[in-house]
Amino acid sequence: METKVINKRAGRIIADVLMVAYFLFALFPIFWMVLMSLKSTDELFTTQFVFKPTLDNYHAILFGDPRAAAGVVAKQEFPRNFMNSVIISSGSVIVSLIVGVPAAYALARYNFKAKENLAFTFLSFRFAPELVVIIPLSVIYRKLGLYDTYYGIIWVLQLITLPLLIWVLRSYFEDVSPEIEQAAMVDGYPWWRIFFRILLPLVRPGLAAASLLAFVFAWNTFMFPLILGASQVQTVTVSALGYVSSAQAFFNRMAAASVIASFPQMIVALSIQRYLIRGLSFGAVKG
Amino acid sequence: MNRRLLSLLLVLALALPVGMSVTSAQDEFDWRKHEGTTLRLLLNQHPYQQALVGELAKFTELTGIQTEYDVIPEQNYFDKVTIDLSAGDASTYDVFMTGAYMIWQYAPAGWMEPLEPYINDPAKTNPDYDFEDILPDLRNSEMWNLIPGRENLGQGSQYALPWGWEANALMYRTDLLEELGLGVPKSLDELVSTAKALKDANPEMAGIAVRGSLNWATIHPGFMTMYASSGCVDYDEEMRPAMNSECAVEVTEKWAQMVRESGPEAWTTYTWYQCGSDFGAGKAAMLFDADILGYFQNQPGTAPEGVLGNIAWAPGPLGPDGSLRTNIWIWSLAMNAGSKHKDAAWYFLQWATGKDFLTTAAVDYTFVNPVRQSIWDNPDFQARLAEQTDYYETFQIISANDMKIQFTPQPLFFETTTEWAGALQDIYAGADAKTRLDELAENLTFMLEDAGILD
Repeated sequence: METKVINKRAGRIIADVLMVAYFLFALFPIFWMVLMSLKSTDELFTTQFVFKPTLDNYHAILFGDPRAAAGVVAKQEFPRNFMNSVIISSGSVIVSLIVGVPAAYALARYNFKAKENLAFTFLSFRFAPELVVIIPLSVIYRKLGLYDTYYGIIWVLQLITLPLLIWVLRSYFEDVSPEIEQAAMVDGYPWWRIFFRILLPLVRPGLAAASLLAFVFAWNTFMFPLILGASQVQTVTVSALGYVSSAQAFFNRMAAASVIASFPQMIVALSIQRYLIRGLSFGAVKG
Repeated sequence: MNRRLLSLLLVLALALPVGMSVTSAQDEFDWRKHEGTTLRLLLNQHPYQQALVGELAKFTELTGIQTEYDVIPEQNYFDKVTIDLSAGDASTYDVFMTGAYMIWQYAPAGWMEPLEPYINDPAKTNPDYDFEDILPDLRNSEMWNLIPGRENLGQGSQYALPWGWEANALMYRTDLLEELGLGVPKSLDELVSTAKALKDANPEMAGIAVRGSLNWATIHPGFMTMYASSGCVDYDEEMRPAMNSECAVEVTEKWAQMVRESGPEAWTTYTWYQCGSDFGAGKAAMLFDADILGYFQNQPGTAPEGVLGNIAWAPGPLGPDGSLRTNIWIWSLAMNAGSKHKDAAWYFLQWATGKDFLTTAAVDYTFVNPVRQSIWDNPDFQARLAEQTDYYETFQIISANDMKIQFTPQPLFFETTTEWAGALQDIYAGADAKTRLDELAENLTFMLEDAGILD
């Protein structure tokens, strides 16, 4: 009995140690990025650990490089690119929500012809690598005048965000028992009130998780904004590469840009964290 | 007799006004002919582009042509160019920055507008353009008749205009070489031994920084210059790969030995950026790469103390017979064959590669190296170069010798040269040079046969 308890405790300690080790391992790149963003350029490449933290990199990317006039490096348009990323990512998620939530509900509830085929088609948007479709898409975009526009990028990002939203939400809708809806109908609720007042709150964890994931994927996308967008809609992912230019490689500014660029994702994640609990609807109906 | 005289007079009378109208067209070149047109430019993020953007207003002021431009970071710049050009008539940009090697891929596809009809048309080109002022080695490197083979470079159409260029040269730390009492390496053997001596004396830094990533760009700077100077060629006259010749095996073996003994630790990840950053930060004693890479590093505010001012330039080491055959990279401007404003685009091209802009760019911005002889002769530009030890002298030696694109033009350049870099990496990692290069030649033969370049 005694040894069992000790074993159990030892096991727990080992698990904790492993967890902490993994935690450090997972966070190390982020730590390194933050560290690099606080270094001056001449400290970047030294192997001795010299560290005099400076906010110069943040200043340079947010307010421009004082040496830009001398032609050392272009004035950075980081704040604009950042806003582009915000507009494009939130826009994509909003469009996906408007289109995807009803689609997911229909796929979960109704039986219609070729239902599974349709669902599979949505999923298949994610199969092909972006590079496979990018050339025909770029031709179509140029002909339609969608090249380098917010609409264009938000539209194409539906390839990434929409399947994710539909498939995640579909399983949440399936978890909600139809009896809840029927009960509400008996109470005289019209369908749209049932949908908005009863169903959506029940799938809120799913909605939150899927939107967050979609936002992160949309934020991180690189190939679509690179090829289908240009100066007007350039996102942080594309412009961050610009800190490494032929004249000089500012890895520290790239790190600073990445640190700032990770804030929206963190803010979104933290603010919807409380909804990220699955199983809210479990046990709502006792059978 | 009279009739003949009469007809002669008649011909003269007819020809005279034509001749006069030509001269008057030259005298008053109409810069504002395409006023109101809007051109779209695709630019790589680069100091050259910064100079251009800084002066673009002057072009609009002169011509009344509006410009819109997109600047793309270099790592993905050519993805963007390739995809836009492939859209043909639907493509967006009228003018784009390109490298000379890209001509071999873009021109056979019909994506690049041949420029000699514009250059040779006095109605389209301003009389002060002076195309001949652009260094002939650079101009010729961008002419091609679309046929694979070394002798075909410098023939056929002018597909791009040289804009700014890089000569691959040896850069070294004068203080470190002096400390050891070493001279500047004059041969590959000396380069290998000097790099090792520098590494032994300064174990915390690399003896020499050269590129090593799995990319075509690993071959073209120092390696190709050394390879060509040693008398090796990439393909023989029949377009058969010659990277496994006796000459090639020897150069490759010595190169790999040099990198193993005294190169940077993570050599197989080394690109332009790592090489430049290491050298600029004092983590490498020599650099065999583009001359301008050292120039960018040797700037106040960029280079740390100890490095600034201690960098000097020299031509690459000579081959066994004393030859120097420097490989070059040329940033260029080209016209999209799918452009709908070709004449206006030509106005832009002749302005952007003209004397006025390029001189301002070289003197007031960081536009090195200039492509025009008149700028190299410009005292203001020379004064700027004076801060860079032996930079100008190195250019003079390099350009007086065989300076050109040392590769053989062929449409598969990027694929085949990346394979070549892969072989170099394997040899660095310990593979037998002869065996591995034989294998490379065999693979490339297959690729070229498959593409119909080799029978």
